[in-house]
Amino acid sequence: MKSRVTITLITRVFLLVLFGLASDLRADEAQARQILVEAILSSGKEQTALVESLSSTAAPIVPDYLEFWKRGKIYLYQTDPDVDPIPVLEHEAETEGEASTYSRIVDGEIIVDEAGNPLVLDPEKMEMARPGRKTRRVFTMTVDLLALSTPDVSDRADAALKLGLKQDKDILPKLRELSSKETEPLVIEALEEGIAVSMLAHGSKEEQMESIQVLKDRNSIAGLDALKNLRHDINDGYAPYPLTEEEKAELDESIASIESYISVTDFVGTCFRGLSLGAVLLIVALGLAITFGLMGVINMAHGEMIAIGAYAAYISQQIFYTVFSQSTFALETYFLFAIPFSFIVAALCGLVLERTVIQFLYKRPLESLLATWGVSLILQQGFRLVFGAANRQVRSPSWLLGNVEIFDITFGFNRIFVIGFAILIVVGTWLLMSRTPFGLSIRAVMQDPQMAAAMGIRINRVRMMTFAFGSGLAGLAGVFLSQIGSVGSNLGQSYIVDSFMVVVAGGVGNIVGTVISALGIGVTDQALQPLLGPVMGRICVLIAIILFLQWKPGGLFPSKSRNLD
Amino acid sequence: MTKISESQRSLIGIIIVTLIVVVAMPMLNAFGSESSFFFVSDYQLNLWGKYLCYAGLAVSLNLLWGYTGLLCLGQGLFFALGGYALGMHLMLKIGEQGAYKSELPDFMVFLGYKELPAHWVPFDSFGFAVFAVLLVPGIVAGIFGFLAFRARIKGVYFAIITQALTYAACLMFFQNSFTFGGNNGFTDFKTILGSKIFDPVTQRTLFTVTAVYLSLCLFFIWWLTRTKFGKIQRAIRDSENRVRFSGYSTTTYKLAIFVVAAIMAGIVGALYVPQVGIINPEEMRPSKSLEIVVWVAVGGRATILGPVIGAVFVNWLKSYSTYHYPDYWLIILGALFVFVVLFMPNGIVGLPQQLKSSYKRYRHWFQKNKEAESAA
Repeated sequence: MKSRVTITLITRVFLLVLFGLASDLRADEAQARQILVEAILSSGKEQTALVESLSSTAAPIVPDYLEFWKRGKIYLYQTDPDVDPIPVLEHEAETEGEASTYSRIVDGEIIVDEAGNPLVLDPEKMEMARPGRKTRRVFTMTVDLLALSTPDVSDRADAALKLGLKQDKDILPKLRELSSKETEPLVIEALEEGIAVSMLAHGSKEEQMESIQVLKDRNSIAGLDALKNLRHDINDGYAPYPLTEEEKAELDESIASIESYISVTDFVGTCFRGLSLGAVLLIVALGLAITFGLMGVINMAHGEMIAIGAYAAYISQQIFYTVFSQSTFALETYFLFAIPFSFIVAALCGLVLERTVIQFLYKRPLESLLATWGVSLILQQGFRLVFGAANRQVRSPSWLLGNVEIFDITFGFNRIFVIGFAILIVVGTWLLMSRTPFGLSIRAVMQDPQMAAAMGIRINRVRMMTFAFGSGLAGLAGVFLSQIGSVGSNLGQSYIVDSFMVVVAGGVGNIVGTVISALGIGVTDQALQPLLGPVMGRICVLIAIILFLQWKPGGLFPSKSRNLD
Repeated sequence: MTKISESQRSLIGIIIVTLIVVVAMPMLNAFGSESSFFFVSDYQLNLWGKYLCYAGLAVSLNLLWGYTGLLCLGQGLFFALGGYALGMHLMLKIGEQGAYKSELPDFMVFLGYKELPAHWVPFDSFGFAVFAVLLVPGIVAGIFGFLAFRARIKGVYFAIITQALTYAACLMFFQNSFTFGGNNGFTDFKTILGSKIFDPVTQRTLFTVTAVYLSLCLFFIWWLTRTKFGKIQRAIRDSENRVRFSGYSTTTYKLAIFVVAAIMAGIVGALYVPQVGIINPEEMRPSKSLEIVVWVAVGGRATILGPVIGAVFVNWLKSYSTYHYPDYWLIILGALFVFVVLFMPNGIVGLPQQLKSSYKRYRHWFQKNKEAESAA
């Protein structure tokens, strides 16, 4: 029986190679199927050995088939008492009452009759194939070891570490064997870490002490639990070897060292997430810092300016999709076009808003709040009428997705991007305000409009341009927000309170204050969230800001003035 | 004919409003014949009860914004707090008539509570609930106002931090774990003081109580504007520093007015809940508080009847346009606000005066033209 199987295998491989069709994967799969058939047909030690040998086939189908076997989905189909039965896999029909179809395990093809319809097999001729008791035990280990031969490097490293953490006596030699053969440095590291964890439980005393040292040197977060368990075992007197006080101290030191490493990475991670949230807040609030902070207009429609930017990003995506017919090129590049497009669209809307409504309200700031709120209602309903009530999805280019892991801290590309984007916008705004003639006239008009007018500055035009610039910045915020959520008519509403708080806490009329308060609020929010949950964290931040204003009523950098009232 | 003064005219206005809402409307509802033009149906009475609550809310904000210059974007919070305080009592009075047939309110059964949380227990008594309606908004306003006014936060900043406070409270009440029913709030009330809550007679009584309360508020404000306190109040609005330099503690004045306005809002909240039959955190949304400001602005700030007219008019318009133009009502409302702010700075009440002065200006201009023509 075995010889025949081998012959078919040889012919198969030969044929594949001959016709140049042999991809590694298919050859692996064919080999695995052959071994599976043999294993199902054999019994006892031979079966166990065959299943164990599956772990070196690197075929992704193996775990599924082992699972089917365990759950009794595999049958032996006896066509003729003189011939060996054929192992088949049952596929239950989706609708109830219909007969199951079967596929041959040797090639995965459905068994059909002459007409090509799935053949209904005679239940009399079938017998469920059951794995032996000892074989069943090696299933999990086989699947685990199989993962060690996947071609993907990071998957393989994960599998190596996971196996080591099991602290299984039987796996340890296999890990050692693999580590001598492995070439990828990432996997070798993971294997060494896994071996060290495993040796904590099963190694000799020297190996144990060596492992403690290795885990400490590597700052192994994964190994921390194993170290702590060892420490408990020693305390409870279950340890395999008695340790001297010195050695115990070494163990404790190792644990403490890893724990402090974790708290450092946690801290850096929180800071990073806080910075990126702060950057989002900063982008959202910077436009307001200009329209509200510098110009004194309480622009409740600021949120809608953000939404306009987000919708502009959506429109530019749709245009690119239509023009470049949904190609990857369109998806990857529309975003670069969307940034200036949204800025211009939002700035134009701001220009119109300033000319039609706000220019009449510079002397009545509290009433600008009411009028702009009316505008915000009109715009929200306008979005709903034009784009529909449902949210619109804007897809992110692939270079914004992914992330990179450095020292066990995950840095998402979109978070890195938003921080860079915020820096760019702030620097740009700062240069505009402090290094250009336009910036000079903006500052002059904001400080004393009458004097500026007397000096020949056209204050109406400067105000108009300033408001348009602030609105354009809101539009840029919209482009970014479209990347972290969907675009809807209420998009701006969820940020309006936050952005006002950022500007007020930073000190009205001061861009440096806005930057610091946005980052401060972002980091505080991220630091509180793991302790209190997202909603309570947010509430605490709001209350903290109210209390902060107690201490510094004018914000971080209050504007200095000799005016009363 | 002797010319009647501004203050006397307001008083006449208040008396007319009182006669309409306190006497005429409940009477027409109770005794009017259904075929008559003047008949007020139960539905209409209930709707007007809601409008009167909004009017009361606008009056309380006017006391702050119109007369003292404190733009509070958190008046909806105090309104909702009052509503919640009475709502807790009404929830407990449902007793075992709820969907789960339990002594506990339905949402608590749903969330797996075994017994009533300690802060709910005293609300079983109506007296305590009424006490809480006054106390809770008062205390919240007292603490917040003390902090804000002591730090001399004013103008735009005051508006923004009151909005932040409202937003924080809104987030808090939306949470299920806050024991106030999460986003569903309280509803399905059955009885108030032993009588069925949706019985026409109960509803008429509630309407009358609301109307009487509103009239009392109007008389109170009319009286207040004539006292020294009212004058200082307006002086603070116009130039706070001058008042402070004259030796008045503006902080104390502002705090007192803030607390009184919060309590007034809390009381209308408590009157609103049994008439509408539901209270949930939606009422605390910052946008709701902004709407109140708009009512006052539309009606005419710093006038006695302005807020009442504004609240009733805007809410009537809202009901009308949500029914007839559901897609456009937000646009109509938004455009109205922009129009009022730009072209009617004194609101509806100030409109006759505004028209009169523009007519005068027009006649002046017309005559000048004529003279120029004849000279030529």
